[in-house]
Amino acid sequence: MAPNKRMLFRADVNRIYDDEYRAAQNAKNEKFFIRRPRQRKMKNAKWFDVGMGIDLPFCIIIFVLLIVGTIMMFSASYAFSYYTQGDSYYYLVRQLIFIVLGIAGMVVMSLFNYNKLHQVAPVVLGVAYVALLLVLILPSGEGGVKRWIPLGIFNIQPSEIAKFAVILFFAHWCSKYYNKMQLPKFSVLPGVAIFGSIALLLFLEPHYSGIVIIGMLTVLMLYIGGMKTKYLAIGGIALIGLVLLLAVTGGLTYAMSRMDGWGQSLEYTTEEMWQTTWQTRNSLYAIGSGGLWGLGLGQSRQKYLYLPEPQNDFIFAIVVEELGLIGAAIILLIFALLVWRGITLSLRAKDKFGKLLGIGLTSQIGIQVVLNILVITDWLPNTGISLPFFSYGGSSLIMLLAQMGIVLSISRTANIERQ
Amino acid sequence: MAENEKKPTKPQSPKKHVDKGPNQRLRQRSAVLIIIILVLGFGAALSRLAFLTLVEGSKLQERAVDQQLRDTTLTAKRGTIYDSKGTVLAESASVWQVVMAPINFENDKQREACAKGLSEILKLDYKNVLDKTKQESYYVVVKRKIEVEQRDKVIELQEKLSKDYDCGNVISLLDDYKRYYPHNTLASCVIGFTGADEQGLEGVEYKYDDYLAGKPGRVITAINARGANMPFQFEQNVESEDGNNIYLTIDKNIQSICEKYMAEGIENNNVLNRGVCIAMDVNSGAILAMVTANGYNLNDPYTLPEDVQKEIKEKPQKEQAAAESAALSAMWRNKAVADTYMPGSVFKMCVAAMALEEGKISDNSSFFCAGAVTFGKDVIHCHNTGGHGTQSFVQAICNSCNPAFVQIGQLVGAEKFRDYYAGFGFAEKSGIDLPGEAEDTFWPEGQMSEVDFAVASFGQNFQITPVSMITACSAVANGGYVMQPYVVQKITDSKGNVIKNVEKKVKRQVISNATSDKMNEILGYNTQTAGATAGYVAGYKVAGKTGTSEKIGNQKKLSSFEEDYIASLCGYAPADDPQIAVLVFFDTPDGGAYYGSQVASPVFINIMSEVLPYLEVKTDYSEEELAYLGTTASDYTGMSIADAQAAVKKDGFTPVVYGMGDKVVSQIPPVSANLASGGTIVLYTDEETKQASKVTVPDFTGNTAVMANSLAASYGLNVSYKGAVSSGGNCTAQDVKAGTEVPAGTVITLTFSAAAGGGFND
Repeated sequence: MAPNKRMLFRADVNRIYDDEYRAAQNAKNEKFFIRRPRQRKMKNAKWFDVGMGIDLPFCIIIFVLLIVGTIMMFSASYAFSYYTQGDSYYYLVRQLIFIVLGIAGMVVMSLFNYNKLHQVAPVVLGVAYVALLLVLILPSGEGGVKRWIPLGIFNIQPSEIAKFAVILFFAHWCSKYYNKMQLPKFSVLPGVAIFGSIALLLFLEPHYSGIVIIGMLTVLMLYIGGMKTKYLAIGGIALIGLVLLLAVTGGLTYAMSRMDGWGQSLEYTTEEMWQTTWQTRNSLYAIGSGGLWGLGLGQSRQKYLYLPEPQNDFIFAIVVEELGLIGAAIILLIFALLVWRGITLSLRAKDKFGKLLGIGLTSQIGIQVVLNILVITDWLPNTGISLPFFSYGGSSLIMLLAQMGIVLSISRTANIERQ
Repeated sequence: MAENEKKPTKPQSPKKHVDKGPNQRLRQRSAVLIIIILVLGFGAALSRLAFLTLVEGSKLQERAVDQQLRDTTLTAKRGTIYDSKGTVLAESASVWQVVMAPINFENDKQREACAKGLSEILKLDYKNVLDKTKQESYYVVVKRKIEVEQRDKVIELQEKLSKDYDCGNVISLLDDYKRYYPHNTLASCVIGFTGADEQGLEGVEYKYDDYLAGKPGRVITAINARGANMPFQFEQNVESEDGNNIYLTIDKNIQSICEKYMAEGIENNNVLNRGVCIAMDVNSGAILAMVTANGYNLNDPYTLPEDVQKEIKEKPQKEQAAAESAALSAMWRNKAVADTYMPGSVFKMCVAAMALEEGKISDNSSFFCAGAVTFGKDVIHCHNTGGHGTQSFVQAICNSCNPAFVQIGQLVGAEKFRDYYAGFGFAEKSGIDLPGEAEDTFWPEGQMSEVDFAVASFGQNFQITPVSMITACSAVANGGYVMQPYVVQKITDSKGNVIKNVEKKVKRQVISNATSDKMNEILGYNTQTAGATAGYVAGYKVAGKTGTSEKIGNQKKLSSFEEDYIASLCGYAPADDPQIAVLVFFDTPDGGAYYGSQVASPVFINIMSEVLPYLEVKTDYSEEELAYLGTTASDYTGMSIADAQAAVKKDGFTPVVYGMGDKVVSQIPPVSANLASGGTIVLYTDEETKQASKVTVPDFTGNTAVMANSLAASYGLNVSYKGAVSSGGNCTAQDVKAGTEVPAGTVITLTFSAAAGGGFND
């Protein structure tokens, strides 16, 4: 077996030796706020570095998804755009602008030495909090929901910043205190504190799907960060308890009203319910109409105002209608490759921070894809989870591509296929 | 673990088997993460998608297509029904359907304006229309089948709504058609009518629905969720195809002649269970007229006659609906085809024909009638209870002697009888192209007893349809050919190209030409001798046979007679060259008489005496008849008195001059009026005298033709004759009532028929 090929399948090189682990064991009794001396190499690190070069397969997957996603976004938005904006290219043109901006961001971020983020992680978290607070102060949007900060040409969704901030912060935290992560005060405590506070702010917006995703990301980061699994179990039970409590106190009104029609969109009960479940029902019609091979690219009928806002969260329903189960499976396969490649390349990063950050950022895409598809197929309540690379949206797309830039930056330090 | 050990660069830890290195833990947890996301998460998503697309796919797609496609039907114009001469009997005219797309309303102001306008124009309830405007729908039918005037108003309303309320896209008009029957009741049982969707429900409308209906077109459009057409993609247009036109064999004129006299016959004889008249072209089997009297208004087929309505209203509430539907189906029923009856003595023409054909009769054959025949316990009486004594074959027919026909039947034999019964077409449906034809009721093979056979020999105790009777009669007349009766002669497409031409069809020959000729002679003789009681029409050689059959069965007796009877006459003309056969029968007369000779014969005569001239059948008067032949008056106005008098005398009339003027200003009877030769022509020289010279019309009934003529002359009136004038008939009716004041010289038309007290020709 060729050495490089062997490396592909072999577990990664352990750069952190077991004595380091033993040192960590000794540090169990250390005090919480004792500064550890920083590693030298970080101090000397350059801001921008080409390193070993980016991981080309990962980059290719990103561009494939971007191209397919944009084509499908155009197809899905064509009719809606025509009827609502009077211009079939309205969404396409904007999305292309965002893509250009996003790719620029991605290139910059891929060159950026991600280790520098180590230092700014708490700052980013702070920014996220500010944004989350700001959105609550600003006048509310449609239906009394406060989710967007208007910024002229495009809006920013604070929850997008929060998602990134959570991943970044925990990557920073867990890598810093990796040896102490077994201790609840290093894992459970920050997890509960950060998730709890963000969840509270999102709850006030309200943005339940944001809470769900932030919660999942927190757990994910702490899990790979080394938290003991028993705390995970305890946390899970606590979460269920919290949701039940909210349900009892009636704080989930908005989400519940959306959940009301969950799983019963195809049966007519009341006119109100029929209207509530309109989007989900037409999503199912679209998916069902696709069959195995689909109606063909551009041939969707459900996008003719039957499925509201087909370019947003429900875009994949139109994808299935046009490309069928085969097309959907191929797209899911590409997403899976992205997740796989992202995680494996992250594992080869030269430091723990990079590994955790890369895994967190790629996993986030996987989680969003799964949740999105479960929503459009009526297995989860209709809560507004966008599909990465496909759904229309400026801030989320730019954020997404910037995050992919970070993963690419991490790949520069990874020794995957390059020993 | 194994890999760890292989790594040479890695320093060995003091503790040999540390449970987990932190790095390894990260890898393991990453692996778990990948499994959770990719296997569980993506797996769930993909299997859910597979379930929806492959398992639920067709169901979901069907529902999706349901909402995406709008299927608009384009109504096809139903074909026209013409009579044999091209007169329109049934026709579809353009009307419109008002539909609304209330989803396009934006506010209540628009709704109210629209509802107000529509309810006023279409005479609908305002609240009702307003409710419709509140529906969240793209297609609500407001009213169907509106006519031009209303349509124009709706178009005005559309314009107004679009100008003043900015909602011109709500109301639309769709093409629709409505069936019209220009002659109302004419030939109702043949034509039939259509339902709300123009589908044929009765008669030719039903039978030929496939031809008449045409093919409705469709426009299938893909629509977006707002109901507007999708900007591209499929729009399938299937043009509607107009229905075919149908030409009946029915002649509107003959039909209306028959209907006129049938209605008269029903009225005069208080017929309880309607009557039937069929006129058939003897040589082709084409039905020239088919009447089930009285008919119903095809433009209003759901309204019962007033007396029936009244009868139903008197019934208990519960039974009313059932009674009404029963009455309606009875009213629509084509008695000529859908009902059976016992032909009675009319059937004797067939029995006589089969006996002749079989050679069982010779000129010397004689039959004895003692007034009754006995079969064991059963006694069959002749209508002449005293007995006809010894008769020849021809006499037996003319006497319509039952015992003689029992003997004739026996000469033929039961087997042969059955063969001829089938041969004449009684055993099968005639196959006429009208719906609901009934089957005959006859004894199954081997179950006909001696008595049954005896009774059958004079047409009793078995049932046939009127249409099969006239078909058999035509066969007797036309040389023995059993024709296929039909009412539709031609079908053309909407552009006039002939699609189907119905040719006459001979089913079989049942008797020879010679037998047929002989029968024509005998039946012609029968009519000539029996006169008005057997369908005699002056100027024509009519052949015919009357019949009076008892209605045997378990129905409730309706009439005031001992039994319910059917009075019928089946005959044809001219006897030496038969062209038209007419069957007249009245079911359950309850007037003064019930015999075919009294009830059916006058109607038959009236019909024949109008139909034969219409068909331009050559007249063939006997000398006796010529004496009574009416002459027509010429125009004498404008002449001087002397000239006019001379002209009148020259024409064979007697002139009478009234007035003080020197020129004739008017005359009675008017130009070309029919009057008996030697009649009076009154010439007026001024208008005043015309007004003054009135005569009171006397009662002519009961007089013979000669007596009536002299009576008329004494009053200064003229008469013209109708019916059985020459054979000693008495006047039974006059067209101007006795006691009426008329100008002198007026022609009174007198109808002569069966001499009262004369022998009935049963």
